[in-house]
Parts: sequence; C-alpha cells; structure tokens
Amino acid sequence: MVRETHIVEDLPGYVLGCLEAEEVVRVEEHLKGCKTCRDELAAFQEVSAWLAASLVQNDPPERVKRELMARVETAGLQKIHEREKNSWWMRMVTGFRQVSSAWGAVSLALILALGVSNLFLWRQVQELRSLQDESLPVVPLSGTEVMPGATGIIIISRDGRHGTLVVDQLPELGDESDYQLWLIRDGQRTSGAVFSVGEDGYGAAYVSSPDPLISYASFGVTIEPKGGSAEPTGDKVLGGDL
Amino acid sequence: MDLSDLDDTDLLRMIAQERHDALSELYDRYGRLVYSLAFHILGDGESAEEVTQDVFWRVWEKAETYRAEQARVSTWLTSIARNRAIDVFRQRRVRPEGQSISWGMLTPNSVPKVEGRTPEEIADRTLVNNQLKEAISSLPAEQRSALILAFFYGYSHSQIAEKLQEPLGTVKTRIRMAVIKLRGLLKE
Repeated sequence: MVRETHIVEDLPGYVLGCLEAEEVVRVEEHLKGCKTCRDELAAFQEVSAWLAASLVQNDPPERVKRELMARVETAGLQKIHEREKNSWWMRMVTGFRQVSSAWGAVSLALILALGVSNLFLWRQVQELRSLQDESLPVVPLSGTEVMPGATGIIIISRDGRHGTLVVDQLPELGDESDYQLWLIRDGQRTSGAVFSVGEDGYGAAYVSSPDPLISYASFGVTIEPKGGSAEPTGDKVLGGDL
Repeated sequence: MDLSDLDDTDLLRMIAQERHDALSELYDRYGRLVYSLAFHILGDGESAEEVTQDVFWRVWEKAETYRAEQARVSTWLTSIARNRAIDVFRQRRVRPEGQSISWGMLTPNSVPKVEGRTPEEIADRTLVNNQLKEAISSLPAEQRSALILAFFYGYSHSQIAEKLQEPLGTVKTRIRMAVIKLRGLLKE
C-alpha cells in the first residue's frame, strides 16, 4: 500500500511567507495534486487573513485607484489594437507586402492555404453544430454561468470510440491550470482530455475513453490544476448532453 | 448596474469577463485592507501604494484563477497582498552585518526592536481585534515572538532563527504551533 505524503507541516510557514525559495517550489508542486493539503492551506490562510483584517486600517490616497483604473483602461485599448493588428486578414496583407523572393512566394502560398483551411474548418464546425441526422454524432457544448460566452463541440467518430473536442471563447489559463473534459455517465465522471487554449480562446483536443463515447450521457469541461485531476475540482465552464 | 449587492465571488467572475466596474467595486471593498496590510509590512506609504496597485492589477489579470471552494475572496486578496509586500520588503531592505540596532544576546523575551518598539508593542498598537490580541497574548512567549517576526516583519524561518539565535527546526515548530493554535481559536 502506498502511503500518501502530505506537506501540512510546511503550510503555516508557507502562508506566512517564511519558507525559502526551493521550499516554496516543493510545496506549490505538491499542492497542485493534493486536495487534502489545499484544504488545509485554505484553513491556515484564514488565520493570516484574520491577522490582516485586525490591523489598524487607513485609506489609500485616491490616486491609487485612479491610476489603477487608467492602467486597466489603457491595457484594454491596447488589447483591442493588438487583436485588429493580428487578425488573420491583416497578417495575410502584411505577409504579402513582405514577399520579395521565391521563398517568400512559397510562404505566401502556405499562408493562403492555411488561412483557407482554417476558415473552412471553422465553417465546418459551425455547420456541424446544427446537424441533426448526420452519420457523425456531434455534441454541442454551451457555456455555464461561469463562462457564459464559451462554446464548444465534440465530434464523435462513426464507430463511437473516438472524438475531437473543439472549444472557443475560453480564457487562456495561467501556468498552474488546464481545462479538462469529463465524460459523464450514471453520476460517474471519467477524464476524456486535458487541454489548453491559445490567446484567442480557441483550442482542440483528441478525446479518448475506455468505453465508446456514445455510451456517455453528457460531457463537461472544468478548470483543473495543471495536468488534470482524478475528479472534477474546479469550476465547470462548458456542458452538453449527448 | 449597482454592483454593491453582488457578492465577492460574482464580482470576480465579472472581472474575469473584463468588467471595469466590477474591479472598481472590489477595490472599494478591499483597497483599504490591502493598503493597510502593505503599509504595516513595508512601513511607508509610497511602497504600500505600489503594492496595492500591483495586487489589484494581478486580480484584474488573474481573476479566472480564483477558486471559491479554496478560499474567500478577502482571504485570497490578503494572501496576494502579503506575498507581494514581503517580496518588496525583501528586495528593498538590506540588513548589513554590525547594523545600528543592537541585537545583543537575544532571549525569547528580548527580540529585535524596530524604530524603538518591540514586536509585541507593534502588535499591540496595530491590532484592533481584542479577541486576536488576547489570542496572541495567550501564546507562549517563544511562539509569540516568532509569529510576530514572521507576520509583521516578513522574515523567513532562517532569518528568525538568526535573530532569535535559535535552531531553525525550533523556529519552524514554534511558528507552526502558533498558527495552529490561532486556527483553533478562529474555529471557535
């Protein structure tokens, strides 16, 4: 029998910021995969929060908030500008202007081919969402109240054993988290894929399962620690029924 | 839309959707707490202002990483604020050998002073929660000193061991026992 090891003894020092750098790395690695220790950490963090809330408090100068909101506003405008600059059409136009050699012409041809195929694939996904009686079963996924704008689809192979998950409008997660697809049947959840999305919120993953995908009643996507979890622990962001 | 009726978790969801007004509301609720915590650790307003902005900027960028099942929003914010303040403290404060403060032969009841005040005096003047003050006072002196050095000064285990001239393992145990005891009192 494998005895579980925990790092509960290190958590008070971790919460108070007393650990050395390498200790912090070890603790944080362990926390990613240990719910027991994460629960203990939460309880110890309450102590630190209690101490903080009990301090004599003073208002910060108004300029702190003013500068913060200005920074947020500027970052938002910059993001819009970057999106427009990096739109696939603008990239193609920029690429075309920079072509000046045979290699450039080949690159341009590739860019055009990829652009067309990308557009074709996306249109195909959009069309598949409305299909009712095609031979390939499809499961549309809708955003939950956590991510109402998110969307996705699972395309299941003809024999029902494999699938492809495509998602869109999901925020890119930090280094500590991944999205995870769950296959749900009789209240049991089985992991189908662990994946990430790009900056544009778009992602795809191959779905594998011990049983045919068409034997599951519903599907869900949650946010989990990096590498995935044995069972769902985070917020559900997408869901759909077969 | 009046956001003042929303709970903190809903505000964070809206911040994750890049709602500026939600961030503004969250700042109105917790800006004072974050600033005050940073001020107590760093000791100067300018640094505390910088940390306060950093904390809420991080909230803006990482709102989607918040997990309601792991901690309350205020606890999450406090954790980010304290970590950031300690980072700044450690980057900016250098304690040379032979410093002006006389460490002398340190005993558990004789700990380093900052600006003429002992950690206990600092804790007594800065904590407004009487229950918490009593809880800290009820700790054994050795645990109390170590906890205050950790929480208010942002010292690491090894730094506290050096200041108190105690073994590293002893300091780790004292801090752990102090936090566990406070956790038990908090549960009550």
